[in-house]
Amino acid sequence: MTSSHQAPALWSELLLRSLAEVRELFSRLEDELGPASGDDFAHLLEGGSRLKRMLDSDAEQPSSHDLMNVLAAIRGYAEMLLEDIGELIPELAAALERLLKAVQGANDSGQESAADNGQPRNITSEPGFILAVDDLQENRELVARYLSRSGHIVVTAAGGEEALSTLEQTDVDVVLLDLLMPGMDGREVLYRIKQHPEWRATPVIVISGSQDMDGIIECIEAGADDYLFKPFNPVLLQARIKAGIERKRWHDREEQYRLQLERNEKFIRATFGRYLSDEIVTDILERPEGLELGGDLRRVTIMMSDIRGFTTLSERLQPSQVVTLLNRYLGAMTDIIMAHQGTIDEFIGDAILAVFGAPARREDDADRAVNCALAMQAAMAGINAHNRAEGLPEIETGIALNTGDVIAGNIGSERRSKYGFVGHPMNVTSRIEDVTAGGEILVSDSTLHSLSGTFQVGTSQAITVKGIDESIVIHQILGANP
Amino acid sequence: MSRPVLLVEDNELNREMLARRLRRAGLSVVVAADGREALARMREHSPAVVLMDMSLPILDGWSACRMAREDEQIRHIPIIALTAHAMEEDRRKALQAGCDDYATKPVDFPALLAKIEKLAEQ
Repeated sequence: MTSSHQAPALWSELLLRSLAEVRELFSRLEDELGPASGDDFAHLLEGGSRLKRMLDSDAEQPSSHDLMNVLAAIRGYAEMLLEDIGELIPELAAALERLLKAVQGANDSGQESAADNGQPRNITSEPGFILAVDDLQENRELVARYLSRSGHIVVTAAGGEEALSTLEQTDVDVVLLDLLMPGMDGREVLYRIKQHPEWRATPVIVISGSQDMDGIIECIEAGADDYLFKPFNPVLLQARIKAGIERKRWHDREEQYRLQLERNEKFIRATFGRYLSDEIVTDILERPEGLELGGDLRRVTIMMSDIRGFTTLSERLQPSQVVTLLNRYLGAMTDIIMAHQGTIDEFIGDAILAVFGAPARREDDADRAVNCALAMQAAMAGINAHNRAEGLPEIETGIALNTGDVIAGNIGSERRSKYGFVGHPMNVTSRIEDVTAGGEILVSDSTLHSLSGTFQVGTSQAITVKGIDESIVIHQILGANP
Repeated sequence: MSRPVLLVEDNELNREMLARRLRRAGLSVVVAADGREALARMREHSPAVVLMDMSLPILDGWSACRMAREDEQIRHIPIIALTAHAMEEDRRKALQAGCDDYATKPVDFPALLAKIEKLAEQ
């Protein structure tokens, strides 16, 4: 969340401002200085003029080497002057120290950009980036002086509009806002900040000229984070700024964490959402263990369906027609299965394997499965109407249902796994599917006995299944009794 | 320290500043503005320590350092490379070329003085 491309410009602003301050003090105090110091000042200011020329030149970006050299010279002379006159002229010493801090800042930002190879940059918690808004220049300078002395970067704005345009350009940590200003006043700026989706979290400290508690309360209600009365105590200002920066950092970290979670959730939804109903995806998301490989034994109702004679049918069609036909059919069936909270395990060509009761088990799993099968058969008329309109053949599906205990879980390897099912009931369902005719729904005895609603049952028959000795009984489902 | 310190720096603003600081610290200073001049001054003055910027015209600092190391007369003179901040590669190259130590610019002057004194004693 740092705005690195803006950093050099801001450092240069701070540097030039510090240099101007030193130059101004020097011209005032020149007579009090010895000749040696005067010479050092002349060199320092010469360095400053060169720096200004480099930064002002639109024609070319100054090379980092040239910039570094001139910064090194400024630093060297400033340090020598500080050694010589620091104790004699405290006012000048303070200005030189500010200048040295600005040089250090410029140097650090240059170092940062040299070390930046597109890798994510660590966000340092200090110094903060402070926007001070006040219509009076002396107040702005005072605040800038206090805060830049403790390492903050301070940009100032002389009015509401200027403050908003600075906010648009930079990522500000704390706004220090004077309430009483001509034009757009502090209250209006505060409202705009707190209504802006991206600025809203930026702490605002309002500064009031009078002991107007009602006005302050109004501002706090409008979202101001803190307040100060003028004339304010610099220590109190520092403390409030520090608290504001911490609040902003905390918010930034929280925001990053939230984005990370959102990305993870999006990924999981994209991965599972195609096969599972939203409800099941949410269920998985809410259980952190949900994505671990593993399994458990569950009683589920298994559904298998396929289009009768699809292989023969597809041989007569163009590949694109086969795809159109299949997508229309599978798309409609997917919607119906999801609407009944079924879990689609897979599509195998035209066949669908779905399960009711995993990952989430419900009392009415079998009922939902049967109702789902009835809805699927009912939807075939609409699908065939579309097919006829496009000159595609009509199709018929057969649906088999069976209820039993299966192992449900994420099956596969670390690299590729899916939520799937294994167990003998799966084979039994497949065997029932083999004997299902077009338009028919066949359910096993176990499914029939799991139903709590009543359905119209047609003929029953016994079939044998490979691997088990006894035969199983299956029933035709014709419809639901209201 | 009876022998001078040789300061090699092409940027005259920086060179004057550093020379002035070194003299203030009680050292005698000889200056050079490029690598070729640096080698000549080394032979001429046999300085106690050389402070050498690496990016120099005519003959750069790394080459000057390597050539100094191959010259019987001056190979023993310790050289401190002055490199730009954050230029890890420049520092590594400087040490490979035979420099004894390095200081990053803008220099931390007290630390630089300590390095000069340490190398001059050896």
